[in-house]
Order: sequence, then structure tokens, then C-alpha cells
Amino acid sequence: MVEWFFWNRADITRKVFCDDELFLWGLGQRVLRVAFEEMMEQEVIEAEMILPTHLRFKKIQMHEKYPKGQARGRHWKHLKQIIQAENYQNYPADEPNYVNIETPPSMHPRKHICDITGFEAPYSDPRTHLRYANTEVFKLIRSLPNEYVQRYLALRNAAVVLK
Amino acid sequence: MPFISQTQRQSDYNLIPPSCPIVIDNGASYFRIGWAGESEPRIIFRNIVQRPRHKITGETVTIVGDHDPALLKYFDCTRSGPRSAFDNNVVFQFEIMEYILDFAFDRLGADQTPINHPILITECACNPVQSRSKMAELLFETYGVPSIAFGVDAAFSYKYNQQLGICDRDGLAICSGFTTSHVIPFINGEPAYEACCRTNVGGYHVTDYLKQLLSLKYPHHMSRLTWEKVEELKMEHCYITPDYASEVRLFQKGAKEAEEKTRCWQLPWTPTPVEEPPSEEEIARKAALKERQGQRLREMAEAKRSSKINELENELKGLEFLIHQLRHVNGNDIPSFLAETGYVSKQEIEAAIVKVTQSLRKAKGEQDEIEEKPDPSTTEKYTLIDIPDNMLTPEQLKEKKRQLFLKTTSEGRQRAKQKRFEEELERERRNKEDEQRRLENPELYMEQLRVKYRDLSEKVEQRKRLKTNGNHGNESNNVSGGVGRGERLNAAQKERMRLLTTAAFDRGKGEDTFGIKDEDWQLYKKMSKDNDDEDEGPNEDEAELARVASRLREIDPTFFPKSEASSSGAEPPRFRPLTKEDFQILIGVERFRCPEILFRPNLIGVEQAGLDEMVGVSIRRLQQSRSEDIEENMTNSILITGGSCLYPGMSERVEAGVRMMRPCGSLIRVLKASDSVLDAWRGAASFASTMHFPRQVFNKKDYYEKGEDWLRQYQLKYAF
Repeated sequence: MVEWFFWNRADITRKVFCDDELFLWGLGQRVLRVAFEEMMEQEVIEAEMILPTHLRFKKIQMHEKYPKGQARGRHWKHLKQIIQAENYQNYPADEPNYVNIETPPSMHPRKHICDITGFEAPYSDPRTHLRYANTEVFKLIRSLPNEYVQRYLALRNAAVVLK
Repeated sequence: MPFISQTQRQSDYNLIPPSCPIVIDNGASYFRIGWAGESEPRIIFRNIVQRPRHKITGETVTIVGDHDPALLKYFDCTRSGPRSAFDNNVVFQFEIMEYILDFAFDRLGADQTPINHPILITECACNPVQSRSKMAELLFETYGVPSIAFGVDAAFSYKYNQQLGICDRDGLAICSGFTTSHVIPFINGEPAYEACCRTNVGGYHVTDYLKQLLSLKYPHHMSRLTWEKVEELKMEHCYITPDYASEVRLFQKGAKEAEEKTRCWQLPWTPTPVEEPPSEEEIARKAALKERQGQRLREMAEAKRSSKINELENELKGLEFLIHQLRHVNGNDIPSFLAETGYVSKQEIEAAIVKVTQSLRKAKGEQDEIEEKPDPSTTEKYTLIDIPDNMLTPEQLKEKKRQLFLKTTSEGRQRAKQKRFEEELERERRNKEDEQRRLENPELYMEQLRVKYRDLSEKVEQRKRLKTNGNHGNESNNVSGGVGRGERLNAAQKERMRLLTTAAFDRGKGEDTFGIKDEDWQLYKKMSKDNDDEDEGPNEDEAELARVASRLREIDPTFFPKSEASSSGAEPPRFRPLTKEDFQILIGVERFRCPEILFRPNLIGVEQAGLDEMVGVSIRRLQQSRSEDIEENMTNSILITGGSCLYPGMSERVEAGVRMMRPCGSLIRVLKASDSVLDAWRGAASFASTMHFPRQVFNKKDYYEKGEDWLRQYQLKYAF
């Protein structure tokens, strides 16, 4: 029984599988938890927040599917790539697809609000391109360091992005 | 927090027959799983995964959902932020999805065999087929699920509310989720996807906007504004106004309603213990102590001085005695006689005597000796100056030069002393005048001083700001690689550039003649000097400023030196003790500015229409695709659902917005879902428990035989 206490979790699993499979299968989950307890703090175990590595209802376990050491997850395509790979242009245009159903830009006249205070902003600063409502806000804008100016602009997606 | 995770392990998994479907609502914010036919999902948790390392074992573990942050202290979470399987509202990271499903099935009680219940899982509207197929593959291959059905969460919610009688068969569903908002029209109970529309603004964006605004407004409380805390704030305090412009005008005017609407969040704060001004007896006691110490020191000094005087007197006496003895001794015997005492010759003894007498006199405090010394030295030393050069030997010439030098320096020193004396007089006179003026008219005097102070301080600040802004501009040059924004080279730098370019300018064929003339090297002096000049100029102003400040502080009880904070928002003023108000976060305009982005995504920079306009767009698309005239009834039953629809004032705003878009007199009825958050799951559960459901699923065989194209066409039929 003492042989089970290895440092590496993967080792524990392997040990459980290769020795006395049938006998240990029944204890399975609890065994792993007991072994782990030696290393983990009590309250963490009681909260049961860690995901066990071996789940019996799965046909293929995670550590088999994604062996350790390989670059995990870098091969997942992001949404933009997924959409591109869909080739929506090959299908009729009136069929609804992910890209079709996006809302077009707004038709309403654009109302600007002050970047700092949120009031209505009829004016904009030519130097920093921030919108402001009155002279006090303007004084504040002129005294802001550049970092804050860029962050305010980034709220509106209007920051200068140097790549 | 209105949303609470439930992650208790269920124990009745084995009791439920395999025909009972498992219903999953896979949302970007929360993951809900339960059994069909029930009214509540069994397990609810946040749809995120963290993979931190355990600090002691070094093991990388997986934690799904949100957990007690206190337990996370055992883990090193620096390199593992919470990750979501979603990108916008589509699942793309199936590894994370697998962790989540693992956790969900584990908590549901799945134990022994692969999951052999049919699964109904929700997805977004018009899910790309890649995502769908990967999800199907995951469920079939890894979990051994027999059959799957995909459905749209907004549709389930609408159907459920239709069953409850809240909305009609034809209508619109406005579903505002975590990352996106959809408007889907329903005709005869079936969603019409060709007229659906989606805006990429959701609850996540509202929370993020609020977080950024508060961080920019209160930069020194940034560590307190975590994403979870801001989400709590948003859920508690944010609301939607029917008319943004009028509401904001209230705040701009500073009306009383605005004051009431501003909420204040007081952060925990302990006041610094105030040191009481020392009481009378304290002061008296301290003064007495000091006096006593001074007395003691004085006594010690006195004692030292007297002992030193005694010593010197003794030495003097000894030396005089020695001389006296020497007179009695012959010349030849002097060296041997003196060998004992340590002096070699009589002159030495005499010199020693002179020195001792001098120090004795100094110790006794006579100053006259010193004063007289320079005068005789000046008169005696300058004898050679008046004699013309040709009469002197070379050595005498050298001597003369030295005397000349000494004379000029001493004269210079005297002149300097004289000038200083005069300046003193002048200052005295000015002070006296000042005093007089003050006594005559104190008010006016103070006013003038204050004005002068203000002007000076502004000048100094401006110059300082120019300098530091110039430096900041230069620093940011190094960081971003662009030209400093707007801060042009100041005068000194311009001058330097001019010098450099003129000096370095190659005039074509001619040889480079820089450096032949001596004047050319003056260039470098000029270039560096310019910098120095820049620094010295303001010092006069600053000195003046300091003088005026001290003056004002003396006479004006209400004066307070202006703190030097150049950017008012950037740092808390350090010159006064922090009060309770510094630790309050006021949320006024932000309360309704942040949810406003749902209706005006332009505020965030998303170039799409807001919720109210989306209704118009959707109806227009419906008219284009179908020729029937059904749109009069559409607006009669508009259902708002989704987690991001719980803001107070939402339905009034939607109604007002839709009224603007529709022809006058059309019936508009905006209905709230019975439970915006859980309705999608409930609808799915009730759908899964009908007889209709088994015909809608597809199993593994179907999937592999019919292929991806068929999967693309696959759509759930909601009505029966």
C-alpha cells in the first residue's frame, strides 16, 4: 500500500492501473484522493475544488488525449479563423449564417458624450481627440498624463495602437 | 450576489433511467446542467477554468468554476488566469470545454459507466458548423453519449414563457447575454433565423466599461476594483434611464435629484491617530528639560575650558623656567641640557612659548590679537610694489608679483564686504518699508502678497510642467517610438539643434574645416551651456516664491501653500492627512452610463445598432424574406430575457425605442421573462421531457454517416 505514494500524480494513476486492476478499481477515486491528501491541505480537499485526473465515465482520459509536454491548445482555431474556414460565400447568401445575422451600423445620428464625466460633449480636444463638456473638464484633460489619455481613448476604441 | 453557484455532488445519478435526457445550458457566463422534466438545474457554476500550480507540490491542477478565493492561496495563480472556452459566443477551445464537462458530469453523480443519457445542449444562433461538429465529436467519443440535440437558448426561453402564457406564438425575443445580444423573431412558434440579428455587446462589456471608468477616476483604488467586485456593483447599482440626455443634464446642473442618485461606496479606512497639540505643561516641561540640558552642556564646556587654560599656563610656566635655566648654563652645554627636555635650541623654546601664550590668550577669549594681524601684514608686505621693475632682482620681481596679487585679492575681499554691508542695509530698509505698509493697510498688503504669490507659483509651475512634459515626451519617445505628442522642442533644444546642424553641415566639395579655428570648439560650450541656463532661470522665481510664501505664512492665518500636484487626478495630495472622503468611491453618472452601451454600442466603439434599433432591423429583414404581412403582431409580444436584461428601467427604454421605429399607433407590448437567467434551461428541460424530443436528436451513427453538411442543416424544431 505504501508503494502508492509517489510524488507525481501520473505515476499514481499508472500504478493503480498496472497492479491489481480489478481489486483497486473499486477503490479508485477514493484511493487517489487519499494519496493526494498527503500533499494537499485539508481544506482544499474538503472543498473538492480540484478536478480529478481520472474519471471513470470517460472513455479517453485527459492525460491520454493531451500528453504532458506537448503544446496544449495552441492548435485551437479562434473565431475569426473558424468563420473563414466555414466558407460562407459558397452557400446562398440569404441563408442565415453566423456572419449574416450581424447587426448593421446604427442609423441614428451619433450623440457624443464626454469621455471623462459622461455629460453631453459638443467639443473635442484637437490635441488628444478626447471629448469634453466644459472648460473645467478641458483643464483636467490638458493636465492628464499621456497614459490616461490613451486609456480614455481605448474606452471608445479610438486609441492609437502601434504594432 | 444574485447568481450563486451550486456544485454539490448529486447522488441520484444511478437512480435515473437512461432514457431521461440530460439538459445543459452552455452559456458564456454560467454553465447549468440538470435533468429533463425538472424545474431547476442541479449544478450551476461559472463557465471558466483555471490551471494554477500548487505551491508545495508543484503540480498543475485544474479548477473549474468559481471557488472560495481564500482557498486559492495555496496555489500560485500568477500564470493562470481564468480561461473560458468561448470566443464571443462560440465554443472554440474544446480542451477547456472538456474540463468543464468533466466537472459537470462528475458533480452530477456520474460514476461508473460512460454517460448513456441523451443530451440536449444549447448553442448560439447560427453556430458555425465546425464548433458544432467538434462538440458532437467530444460528446460522442469521449463520453459515449448515445444521442445529442442542439438548440438555441433564446428560443427555449421564449417557448417556456409562451407556455406560461406570457408571450404569444408570434413575437420577438430580445436576449441579452454575456458577450452578445440577439433579437430573434418567432413565427408560429418557430424562430426565423433569417431575420435574426446579433450585436456583439453584452454584460461582459458593461462590466468592463464600468471597471475602466472607475479605475481611471480613482487610480489609487485600482487594486480594489476587481472584475468580480465591479460586477457586483453593476448588478446592485446600475439602471437604464428612459432618456439619457435629460438624466445627464440633471447631473450636470448639480440638482438635488442628482445628489440622491449618486451612490457612495466607503472603503475600509482607519484614520491615522491624530497627535494632539502638546498641552501647556508638556511645553513647560520640555522647555525646562532643554534648559537643564543646555546648562549642563555649558558647565561641561566651562570645565573643559578652564582645564585647558590650566594646562597651558603650566606649560608656559615650565617653558619660562627652562629659559631661565638656560641663562645659567654655558653655550656648549646647551644641547646636552636640552636633550632631556626634547627641545633642540633656544629659538625653539622661544617659539613654543609664543605659541602657548597665543593659545592661552585665545582660550581666555581675547580677540584683539587676531584683528591686528592683517593690518601690519598688509602694510609691511607691499613694500616692493611701488618700486619700478627695472630696479629689482628676479627674485624681488617674483616677490613683487606675489605682493601685487595679495593686494588685489585683499582689496577685492574688502569691496565684497562693503557690498554685502550695503545690501544688508538695503534689505533692512525694504523690510522696514514693508512693515510700515503692512501696519498702515493690512488688508491691501495681504491681498497684494497673495496675488504676487499666485502669479509666481503659476509661472514656476508652468516652467516646471514644460520641463517635465518635455521630459515625459522624450521618455515616451523611447517607449513608443513616435514623436512626442505636441510638446515641441523647447528653446534650448531648438538652439542646440541649430548649432549641431550648422556645425555638421557638409558644404559639399570643401574639406571639413571644423576645428581649425579655436572659436569652433566654443560650440560645445554653447551647446551645454544652453542646458544650464535653462535650469538657472527659474531659481530666482522660486527663491522669490519661497520668500513670499514665508511672509504670507507669518502674517496670514488662512494661508496654505499650494501643493505641487501637477496632475490633479494622478496622485493623492500628500500635503494634508488623508480623510474619510479619500476612501470613498462615488458612482453617479456611471450608474446609467454603463448600461447605456447596450442601446448605443457606439459609446464603446462597436459600430453596430443598439437593442432598440435591432428590433427595427429584425422586422425589416423579416419583411424582406417573407412576403406575408405579419409584422403588425410582432411588436405585440416582445420578450426580454437573458442575464443582461435585469437592469431596472430596461422595459421602458425598449418600449420607447421601439415606438420610435414603428409606425404610429402600432401595438407595442414589452414583456419580461419570468426568470431571465434560468428560463433558457427551464425551457430546454421542458422541451426535453416532451414526446417530441426523441425525434429531434441525432446519434453517433447519423453523425458519421451523414457528415458535416447534414449537420449544417440540422435545426431543432421547437413547435409541435
